[in-house]
Amino acid sequence: MQRFINYSFLFLAFSIALVSCNLEQEIDINLPGYESRYVVECYLEPGQPFSLLLTRTASYFDPFPSTNAEFLDDILVDGATVTIVHNGQTYTLQNGLFFNPLSRKAYNYLAPDLVPADYEQSFELNIVTPEGETITATTRILRPVPLDSIVVEFLEADTLARVLAYFKDIPNEQNYFRRMFHEHSLDSIPLQDFATDDRFVEDNFVFGSAYDFAVGDTVFNTVFHIDRPYYDFFNSVQTAASSNGNPFGQPSPIISNLQGTANSIGIFTGLSYDRVMTIVER
Amino acid sequence: MSTTFRLNLSFIYPIQLLVMIFRRFVEFYLPYKPFLRYQAEQIMNMKSPYFSIALLLMLQYAAFGQQQFTVSGVVRDGENGETLIGASILALPSEIGTTTNEYGFYSLSLPQADSLVLEFSYVGFQPIRKVIALKANAKVDMEMGSGVQLEEVVVKANAYREQLKSTEMSVETISPREAKLLPVAFGESDILKILQLKPGIPSGSEGTTGLFVRGGGSDQNLIVLDEATVYNPNHLFGFFSTFNSDAVKDLKLYKGGFPAQYGGRLSSVIDVRLKEGNNKQFSGSGGIGLISSRLTLEGPIQKNKSSYIVSGRRTYVDIFTRLVNNANEGVEDYSPIPDYYFYDLNTKLNFELGEKDRLYLSGYFGRDVFGFDGDFFDFNFDWGNATGTVRWNHVFDAKLFANTTLTYSDYQYNIENKLTGFSFNLGSNIRDANLKTDFFYALNNKHTLRFGGNATYHQFTVGRLKAGSDDGSVSFSAGNDYDGVEAGAYISDDWVATDKFKVNMGLRFSGFFNDGQSYFGVEPRVAANYSMTERVSLKASYARMYQYLHLVANAGVALPTDVWYPSTAAIKPQRSDQVALGVSWLLGKDYFLEVETYYKDLKNQLEFVDGAEIFANDNLENEFAIGKGYGYGFEVGIEKNEGRLTGWIGYTLAVTRRGDFKPIDDLERFSDTGYFSPVYDRRHDLSIVGIYELSRKLAVSATFVYGSGDLRWLPGGRFTFQDVYGGGFQVVTPDYLERNTYRLPAYHRLDLGLIIRFFPKWGESDLTINVINAYDRRNTFFIYLEPIFRQESDGQNTIEVPERIAAKQVSLFPILPSVTWNFKF
Repeated sequence: MQRFINYSFLFLAFSIALVSCNLEQEIDINLPGYESRYVVECYLEPGQPFSLLLTRTASYFDPFPSTNAEFLDDILVDGATVTIVHNGQTYTLQNGLFFNPLSRKAYNYLAPDLVPADYEQSFELNIVTPEGETITATTRILRPVPLDSIVVEFLEADTLARVLAYFKDIPNEQNYFRRMFHEHSLDSIPLQDFATDDRFVEDNFVFGSAYDFAVGDTVFNTVFHIDRPYYDFFNSVQTAASSNGNPFGQPSPIISNLQGTANSIGIFTGLSYDRVMTIVER
Repeated sequence: MSTTFRLNLSFIYPIQLLVMIFRRFVEFYLPYKPFLRYQAEQIMNMKSPYFSIALLLMLQYAAFGQQQFTVSGVVRDGENGETLIGASILALPSEIGTTTNEYGFYSLSLPQADSLVLEFSYVGFQPIRKVIALKANAKVDMEMGSGVQLEEVVVKANAYREQLKSTEMSVETISPREAKLLPVAFGESDILKILQLKPGIPSGSEGTTGLFVRGGGSDQNLIVLDEATVYNPNHLFGFFSTFNSDAVKDLKLYKGGFPAQYGGRLSSVIDVRLKEGNNKQFSGSGGIGLISSRLTLEGPIQKNKSSYIVSGRRTYVDIFTRLVNNANEGVEDYSPIPDYYFYDLNTKLNFELGEKDRLYLSGYFGRDVFGFDGDFFDFNFDWGNATGTVRWNHVFDAKLFANTTLTYSDYQYNIENKLTGFSFNLGSNIRDANLKTDFFYALNNKHTLRFGGNATYHQFTVGRLKAGSDDGSVSFSAGNDYDGVEAGAYISDDWVATDKFKVNMGLRFSGFFNDGQSYFGVEPRVAANYSMTERVSLKASYARMYQYLHLVANAGVALPTDVWYPSTAAIKPQRSDQVALGVSWLLGKDYFLEVETYYKDLKNQLEFVDGAEIFANDNLENEFAIGKGYGYGFEVGIEKNEGRLTGWIGYTLAVTRRGDFKPIDDLERFSDTGYFSPVYDRRHDLSIVGIYELSRKLAVSATFVYGSGDLRWLPGGRFTFQDVYGGGFQVVTPDYLERNTYRLPAYHRLDLGLIIRFFPKWGESDLTINVINAYDRRNTFFIYLEPIFRQESDGQNTIEVPERIAAKQVSLFPILPSVTWNFKF
């Protein structure tokens, strides 16, 4: 919501800027010294192998390498020891370069073992970096919240419909959700992607769309049940990404749930979701 | 002599001995004491046999036990009946003097005299001398510029004399003439923008009217318009202020040394007084400019007794944008230009009810409307202030004057958004009802007391959100309502301790009550002035201020969506302590130099935690972190107010820091530990302003400003965020570390103005031609970092690969010429 309002102001600012000519120019900037730090992305999805992406940050104006291979080389951190402990068992993730063709996501640490669907016991992450520093984190996997129903509604005199997704909030606790809404395929940029909590909702959540869909269109509704640290992390990443270029934006540092001696940012969390594909028909 | 007059005067001889000693004293030690010297000369010139009688009679004139009477009255502008604030009244030859208060009222205690001269002076008018006999309390009103004056001695009103002798320090004023003649963007004369040219008051970002006085935030300014508090003095993101300078009579900005009658904000007090309206004849003024037009009409309701003034202004860019939109309707991919307009209206009625009472009714209404009506969604944003004030002046007797004010004000903003079938409404407002009374008591020439109190009932609605679908199947609302009472009582004494040393000592008690939570504060205020010589004064002041309302703002540009929040159990009132030292120096005849240095300490400052959610948050309190701040600086200003060339040069060197912030809610984070600079920590700020009257018909003006750039929070590094399946892959995500470490390039700009005056039969008019940013300097409005991508294909898929990051700077104003035609009748 805040981002939407920020974007509206951004629109206004750019209208003003565009109306006056040539008010944008490239300049040289010297940012103060910056020390690279680690970035960890580790999502525990029950039924999927344990996987983790460990990369490093770069100084903002560092040039980008000209080939993909060099780019990966630059950012991927290899040579670290990555283990996850759960219920007395230690899973060691092997270093390599692993690519999931379905999700088209890459990981440089993977264990052959699958993540158990354990919603009770916690998981503990331990990384020892090539320099010998540590990154640790703890999380639990939350129970997925199922989508109750997907409703396709057409406007009376129109050929376009909207899609509403209903699900039930868990009572008596503070919950956080991430909603994604895609058109055509999950590989495309989502039409909606935001995280929210349940403070406005009594028991039923509904997420809707605009009247944009014709018969035959395919849409995907996803709702992730997430924990507070992931909610904070995701929002801080979105805020950081959107405040560059927005004069009305309040930048945000990345909020992570990582501890340890190494300077790091990132997230270690469980991934529980429900996803429904709907083909629009009358 | 007949025997009835024979007195036993043998006691005179010891007195004659004393006189000789006295004479020695007079010759060597009293060159600057005209009154005593006058008396002493009288004594010394005694040769006549009536010496003793004369001496006896004169002993009755001496400081102890003589008869004193009070001379009081109101000083006005003879042409239109406006009361004059700060006019000087000096009794000659005693040189006992005073100035008029905010209502034009003055009061002087003078010894009985058969004839004494009162000299009235005010900048821009010929001084007037009036001879009166003082045998009882006298009411002496005066109209300046009325042509009644003695010609022998034309004493040039020394505008700076009062400033030199007053205990007031750290004050800046703008005269209506300066407001009119200095070039401003779009030809819209703007008082707040001109205030930014004075030392100690750097401007906000490019073209905005935000004021950051001595390192204080833009919410720490108490802006009072005819005794009513103004919460948002800005239109359009701060490019225009809500003050229509045609209606403004007087404006004073205090940067420090705040008098005890003001309270509630930490860093400055801007006291704006509107004109009362010409009570002699109907007149008007106005102007037509590129962006907006304004019109002011004033006149008497009952000649010399009551008057009205109505002043309005409206922009009309929206008329053109609507025409453009209509012309382009149906054109594919055409994005309509949003509608934007603002208006303000000041209205005032004033009535003289008998000799002792005056009643004023005033109202202010201002609104900004922004609208976008697209095919799929409508977006409407409107915000504004409305205030209504009733004021009653009462003169109890020659020494005691009181003003009582009742005000109602309403500030609100509303964002309305409609998608097909769904609407969303976000708003905030503050409603105040305020009762205030101020007494002005000229006890005697050594003590002028002010005392009074005020109470304000605030009603806030913060973050009110209503959203829902048109069919009602989805709806939610949120928002918080608060109310609170803010109260204050004060007493102060402007004490003329000796003729070189004056002290203004004041004490203010303030309090705030909200939902069972109460806060009290004691605010001592002291200001002293030591006249080292006739031309040089040393000044010092200390002031403590409490602020009970807090503006919750984004780090970026100030927006009307910034929310005012009350003090609560978790959020304590902000507090500032400021010490200032200064030297004021009258150089030559026309130049006035002021040098000041200050140190300000701030407590209970608010900032947002990392990733704060400001909108639609029922627990907004949890998004705050509490910390401290401090600032210190050095300001130099040299000013010339008389002659063909007038203007000033001001330079400020200042440091402002904030830090030690801890979130209220343990689950939140404020990653910056230690101290950091806020964005407005401007190190250097220089303004050079000049107005040159070439002739009666032609004047030119120029303004040059130079300042260190503001600070911005730019990311230190970047990383790649892969996200989960379904989420977008972000190759360049900023990693923000310490805030505000990047200083923008220096800001500088030259503005030129040319005023061509005409004198037609019906009045006066002029053509004002301004060129803002004469050498087209592209000052930075904001900076963003843009990854430049290139396409790469591996035969099947094409992806975008980042090549490098470019830093782009966006400026707002290129060279901006404008023409305004102004008129007065």
